[in-house]
Amino acid sequence: MMSVAPVRWNRVAQLLHWLIALLIVGLGSVGLVMTDMAASPDKIRIYLLHKSFGITVLMLVGLRLVWRLATRHPQEMPGPAWQRWSASAVHFALYALMLAMPLSGWLFNSAANFPLQWFGIVHLPALWGPDPAVKHWAREVHETGFWVLAALVGLHAAAALKHHYFDHDETLRRMLPGMPPPTGDKP
Amino acid sequence: MNLRRVAFALALLAAFAAHAGNWHADPKSSTLGFSGTYQGDAFDGRFKTFDAVIAFDPASLVTAHFDVKIMLASADTANSERDESLRGGDFFDTARTPVATYTATKFRSLGGNRYAADGMLSLRGVSKPVTLNFAWATGATPALVGDAIVNRLDFKVGGGQWADTSTIGNAVKVHTSLKLVAVAPAALKPGVPTEPKPLVKKK
Repeated sequence: MMSVAPVRWNRVAQLLHWLIALLIVGLGSVGLVMTDMAASPDKIRIYLLHKSFGITVLMLVGLRLVWRLATRHPQEMPGPAWQRWSASAVHFALYALMLAMPLSGWLFNSAANFPLQWFGIVHLPALWGPDPAVKHWAREVHETGFWVLAALVGLHAAAALKHHYFDHDETLRRMLPGMPPPTGDKP
Repeated sequence: MNLRRVAFALALLAAFAAHAGNWHADPKSSTLGFSGTYQGDAFDGRFKTFDAVIAFDPASLVTAHFDVKIMLASADTANSERDESLRGGDFFDTARTPVATYTATKFRSLGGNRYAADGMLSLRGVSKPVTLNFAWATGATPALVGDAIVNRLDFKVGGGQWADTSTIGNAVKVHTSLKLVAVAPAALKPGVPTEPKPLVKKK
């Protein structure tokens, strides 16, 4: 017998979604401020944290992709074709950027010849040797990628809120932990 | 007229005599490198511009002397942000003290072809003893390979907020490999820092 797709995202998917969302907001805010700091040991520590949380996002996104492919997830919400198409496109772009941001940061760090230590615990190898051209290119990707990601996160959040408050559908609720099961959801 | 020519020739001779037995490090095949630690990771750098005048005879250590001038702004660690910090006021302060000098007149034999120079390093306005242990290979173009440890805080390189050695280690290993030739290199002009490397290579 074919099982019916779940109506809500499972707990692990929810946890990963909100944890990564929190990290992205934190990384973006700190990233905007830290580049303008004068050179100091505090700046070095803040960079170390930015890099460490960024690598954490990379690991969590990898885990999330595996989890998404390995477990059942809700079907896309019904709606006009343009909404379904644009939701899929934004989701795809968000995944791509969640990978591209830490990877370009790692590459930037490598080509700039800085060490990379995950919270001072694990030494990570350089993706590339010292290289001004690659450094410049990776920096551009990291910076431009940030603005595109910020715009897409805004769009994604705005669409979820619109569905919640104007359409009164399950779009947001099915990603919120602790919500009562909506009608039709089998425990 | 003739007298002037004779005087000129004599001056040249005198200059040559003063330099007899002296060698200069061949800039093309000599290196002066250093290795420090940053966040517990080792990083390597080198001084691209330096001049070493070496008078050394294993049979006569009392007459030996080293006279080394290092253009601090030529420090290259393959990291433009770090190189910029190194040139800045907190570290080498190259605007105020562009040249570091190492002068040695006391030498000890360590057995075999190994020797130690007990010299003085002047860096950032501070002069302190630094010992260079080296191997000497005699020949028409002698070779010197040596190592020294320089504690950066002794010279106030990165004092104040940078004094924390868990971020930047205190001990800096210096490694040099000199190929010695009789002719002085024309390149070194003390007081003129070399141009900093551009951030991005122009294609």
